[in-house]
Amino acid sequence: MSFSPAGPPLLALAGITKRFGGTVALDGAEFDLRRGEVHALVGENGAGKSTLIKILGGIHRPDAGEVLVGGEPVEIRDVADADRLGIRLIHQELSLAPNLTVAENIFLGREPTRFGLLNRRRLFAEAEKLRDELHLPEIGDVRTLAGDLSVAQQQLVEIARALSVQARILILDEPTAALSEAETAALFAKLRRLRDQGVGIIYISHRLEEIRRVADRVTVFRDGRRIGTQEVSKFDLRELIRWMVGRELKERYPRPPCRPGNVVLHVEHLCAPGVNDVSFELRAGEVLGFAGLVGAGRTELARTLFGITPATSGALEIAGREVTVRSPADARAAGIALVPEDRKRAGLVMTGSVGFNLALPWTRQWIRGPFPNAARRAGIVNRALSAFAIKTAGSEQCISALSGGNQQKVVFGKWMEQPPRILILDEPTRGVDVGAREEMFNLIHRLVGQGMAVILISSDLPEVMNLSHRLAVYRDGHIVREARADAITPEEVMAELTRN
Amino acid sequence: MLPLFAAMAVLLVFFQIWVPNGQFLNPENLIDVAQQISVNAMLAFGMTLVILIGGIDLSVGAVVALTGTVAAASLPHGGAAAGICAALAVALLIGAVNGLCAARTRMPPFIITLAMMLVARGAALRFNEGRPLPIPTSETFFLALGNTRVGGWLPVPVLLMAGAFVFTGVLLHRTRFGQHLYAIGGNREAARFTGIHLARHEVMVYVLCAALASLAGMIHASQLYSAEPSSGQGFELNAIAAVVVGGTSFTGGIGTMPGTLIGAVIIGILDKGLNQAGVHFSLQYIIKGLVILAAVYLDVRRRK
Repeated sequence: MSFSPAGPPLLALAGITKRFGGTVALDGAEFDLRRGEVHALVGENGAGKSTLIKILGGIHRPDAGEVLVGGEPVEIRDVADADRLGIRLIHQELSLAPNLTVAENIFLGREPTRFGLLNRRRLFAEAEKLRDELHLPEIGDVRTLAGDLSVAQQQLVEIARALSVQARILILDEPTAALSEAETAALFAKLRRLRDQGVGIIYISHRLEEIRRVADRVTVFRDGRRIGTQEVSKFDLRELIRWMVGRELKERYPRPPCRPGNVVLHVEHLCAPGVNDVSFELRAGEVLGFAGLVGAGRTELARTLFGITPATSGALEIAGREVTVRSPADARAAGIALVPEDRKRAGLVMTGSVGFNLALPWTRQWIRGPFPNAARRAGIVNRALSAFAIKTAGSEQCISALSGGNQQKVVFGKWMEQPPRILILDEPTRGVDVGAREEMFNLIHRLVGQGMAVILISSDLPEVMNLSHRLAVYRDGHIVREARADAITPEEVMAELTRN
Repeated sequence: MLPLFAAMAVLLVFFQIWVPNGQFLNPENLIDVAQQISVNAMLAFGMTLVILIGGIDLSVGAVVALTGTVAAASLPHGGAAAGICAALAVALLIGAVNGLCAARTRMPPFIITLAMMLVARGAALRFNEGRPLPIPTSETFFLALGNTRVGGWLPVPVLLMAGAFVFTGVLLHRTRFGQHLYAIGGNREAARFTGIHLARHEVMVYVLCAALASLAGMIHASQLYSAEPSSGQGFELNAIAAVVVGGTSFTGGIGTMPGTLIGAVIIGILDKGLNQAGVHFSLQYIIKGLVILAAVYLDVRRRK
């Protein structure tokens, strides 16, 4: 870039330490960011990345260490301090008010006023101007309520909000988790433009391919410390992964061996809101991947197959017998299980313990009338805990204390007391770290090896292409192309998805 | 649960010292406390189920008045059996309407049951033009509900409260139904995605709450020897107080039936103790309010 690396870095952290109770989140961490670079920050969950950016955003204060902005030591006591320093943080969890419009969300706290009254006309006009300047047409009408937007659109509103004031340092925490390939590409173009204007960008992601595409340097954190920094121009994936997990991964996305059995699911002309005449077959021991952009209607298909939004027409045949699925209870009886897209909203009861969640679908097995059978419950819970290697302090630990990867394993594990014939996975690796992703893949292999039929929905194109035996390219609630996964290239899939 | 027991013990010792002549811990006095809390506790048991699934039932106070009145009005047409059946039928109807509205529409339970409170109160006042309906002394069984002492010492309302406690406690803590209520209160969507029938459970919970309120209403009328159409005002708030003091989360998903029982006992001890200590009734309100605030504050802080 045109910004010389000489002179003080835009941001430098030295010896940052932060403890929460007994656990050390950051242990003398170092980090630096230049003007006009995208600096990727990677590491497994619990490596200290989130704590680091929260310190920069003024949410946490370090116990020890120094933060220098432009060579000057600074103290970031709260979010207002971070704002003054030009540090803008985009959280992983969406923080929009669903009951306010897009424009109101973007200018929350800085609403234009006239004689002390809210000036709505200017508010909307400025939001539209900002949307167009940032080339974010995907946001749509700025008068829409944020709660009515898709997750991807909400993410873009967050980004627009962060960029609505001059930022010197922009921090993004897994911004693409909910974005499709096209939206990701658009976001990256925007980041590059900001970088060229001299903004320093810290980019956190679990997806190493992305980092290769967007970042200039990449730093790996593990156990609260910096393990190493690479120039992306000399990208070495193996070394990076070794830094992250302390061991080497053989293959990024190994495909499970294919031994398809009989047809277990036959879907014919299925229609429902967002599902537009879908027909396909699924065999035992097979992974059928649904590749599509966010908003293509894949989640709607999953919800229809699981009986949450019942089909309006069409037929479902399971193992040769026609079935009617009008509710999740029907779906379970037919041998269908769903790992939903949003585990905190739809997958888990966050107030409950690990054991509570694992035993919940099987109350019929361990409670007879007023007689709960503790031993039977413990059996169900322990089988799931050991079969899925769920890391927990005990079966009665609150589910919210687990890492994202382990929570996701609980969502898998809760169905497995009586394994379903057909398992639908909707974005199963969203928000889980590299190690847990690999475990998830191994899990899918194992289940498929046992003869389960898997429907895999994922916005991560390499993931869905490499894990699936067959690929259904999905657009506008419809399968536009079906192929063996090794007989189609990512470029062909992309071309299908982006065709008008 | 332990802090609740501790709070209860502290209150008992405190009033034993404060109340003149050290008469507070006298067994007769404690049985009195139990008798006085029985109506509130029964309402609170039902309310616990409702709050646990993230709802609220403001209609129980009015249901107490309406079912008491309906029961008293039915006594001349078939005795206690007719009275009890009529009261339960009314409760079933009100609970079902509350539950169906909550489950099938997007109306908030607060509003649904607020409206139902007004409807039930008005219905109670229609009887006998708002005048009390005396219960004839010939209705010995019905009058026994509120006044007889089994074995000469155990009041029937306390026995019924114990029965209601065991029933709702077992239902909540030992059955599939109860397990599912925790799931619904903790995360409706996740419960739905697990295949739990939300509507069925929700309707059942509101029906149970209204049924317990009708039982409380009959006991209340029996205790007064008369059905008072304007009785039961504010009972719903007292029941909610017992539930939250007992550690049930107002957002749902967390809470226990024994906790609610102790919550009702704590409020009962406060009422009785402050009375016997001769505290002016205006001050009693203030003290009760502050105790509820403190209890919930400590509970919220502990959970953080």
